[in-house]
Amino acid sequence: MTKALHDYSIAEAGALLRNGTLTSTALTKHALERIKAIDPTINSFITVTAESALTEAAAADDAFAKGIDKGPMQGIPHALKDIYGTAGIRTTCHSKLLLDNVPTEDSVVAAKFKAQGAVLLGKLATHEFAIGGPSFDLPFPPARNPWNPDHIPGGSSSGSGAAVAAGLVRMAMGSDTGGSIRGPAGYCGTIGLKPTYGLVSRRGVFPLSYTLDHCGPLSWTVEDSAIAMEVIAGFDPLDPCSADVPVPDFRGKLDKGVAGLRLGLPRHWFAQADGVSAETVRAIDDAAQTLAKLGATVEEIELPDYELYNACGRIIMLSEAFAIHEKDYQTRPFDYGEHTYLRMTMGAFVTAADLTQAMRLRRELSLAVNAKLKQYDALITASTLTPAVPFAEVDPHGPPNFPIQTMPFDVTGNPAMSIPTGFSSSGLPLSMQIVGRAFDEPTVLGIGAAFEAATALNLRRPASTVAQAA
Amino acid sequence: MPEIPAEDALETEFDALAARAGLAVPDSRRAAMLQSFKDLKRMTALMRQPRTAANEPAGSYSLLSITRSL
Repeated sequence: MTKALHDYSIAEAGALLRNGTLTSTALTKHALERIKAIDPTINSFITVTAESALTEAAAADDAFAKGIDKGPMQGIPHALKDIYGTAGIRTTCHSKLLLDNVPTEDSVVAAKFKAQGAVLLGKLATHEFAIGGPSFDLPFPPARNPWNPDHIPGGSSSGSGAAVAAGLVRMAMGSDTGGSIRGPAGYCGTIGLKPTYGLVSRRGVFPLSYTLDHCGPLSWTVEDSAIAMEVIAGFDPLDPCSADVPVPDFRGKLDKGVAGLRLGLPRHWFAQADGVSAETVRAIDDAAQTLAKLGATVEEIELPDYELYNACGRIIMLSEAFAIHEKDYQTRPFDYGEHTYLRMTMGAFVTAADLTQAMRLRRELSLAVNAKLKQYDALITASTLTPAVPFAEVDPHGPPNFPIQTMPFDVTGNPAMSIPTGFSSSGLPLSMQIVGRAFDEPTVLGIGAAFEAATALNLRRPASTVAQAA
Repeated sequence: MPEIPAEDALETEFDALAARAGLAVPDSRRAAMLQSFKDLKRMTALMRQPRTAANEPAGSYSLLSITRSL
């Protein structure tokens, strides 16, 4: 081995597993040792399934020995946000309300990884029910940012971002309703891909908002996410939003570069936004120049005001979330954490007319984005507007409000990926989004791969975790 | 665009909507909730801009409408 096991990509580890120089058992033991050494600092896991993980790893090794190859995730450790149902494994949504919830069936995503022989290391911290956090009044502590544990990792897929950045797993599953994959990815310096609405089944994942929820991966590299998508994408007739469309070749454009591509940049969204950091803007401008040097044409474009997208998405999300939790809010409201209560209760105050107006606007806003994507191959824009804020700045008695600009593409359903653009002067990651046409994840991933190769930002790991475990 | 109601009207509306939803908001959380409600009213006002009758939401639940704007 020429480097630490957690630094092997999924594809690299897969090659070693297949040529016999690495076993899934060794890979899994290494990951479990890192979790034991590092996770007490970052709290990314709620449940570690060490025993079953080693059993699954042994089964993968046995399969390799017999020449059985079920696909690229066979023998690869991964983890799931604790809103993904897992048969026989506690699924809490990080909430007192579901502390004893042990599903009898796997979510579709969990089942697909299991069917391919992947190794589940455990369940990851989240903001409560994917909306309320970071909070200290829940049954489990909030995840912390591996780049600086005094700072938040973002949310709601907080444990997923933290675990990937700390090198505990190469890939973890998150969910995204208003930015819950891309926010933590941005704050933790990982890749975070929100796929096209309907491309990945959400069946068995605890819902936050039916018409906005997306399942997708956070990973250390673009290729790792592409591989995860190969496993989890596909039509599910039992998920009402599932799209019966051909599954694209997610790795098909990873080595194609960006020469000749036209990229739109809605700079007016973020450059003058409230609270945006100058470092964030500068890093995106630099990223645009990097992509231009690689052969893309980058042009500034105008889209409807960002706040329209944000308000539209939030009204729909709050309405649908409250509808899901209505009975518990009426009967046991104080079993929810205070952040969850403060945010989700607002859904009770949205009128039918408000929601209808939001749905009308949603169509207009989708048309506007897709009209631009008829002229451009993809868009680039901000993901997080600042580096991760310290926990000390989070008001435990007020609704959290972190400056990110991810909601537009939950509203429109387009695929959107957060990718690191550099680091702040304080050593925290900065990020941007790459946004594509519906079901054109290969182009999004291809642009990301080209940018990643040009910048090599993934070679830098959080110093605090490197220091604690080899 | 409709104006956001005055503070006292906001409080009256807040109390009415909370009661209709069957919620008993504790005093300790009332100030934060009212602030969130004010933000919500700002957002719902944003939804009410001139729009044609053709901009209607039936198609919003169609996958193609959402993702491809057809």
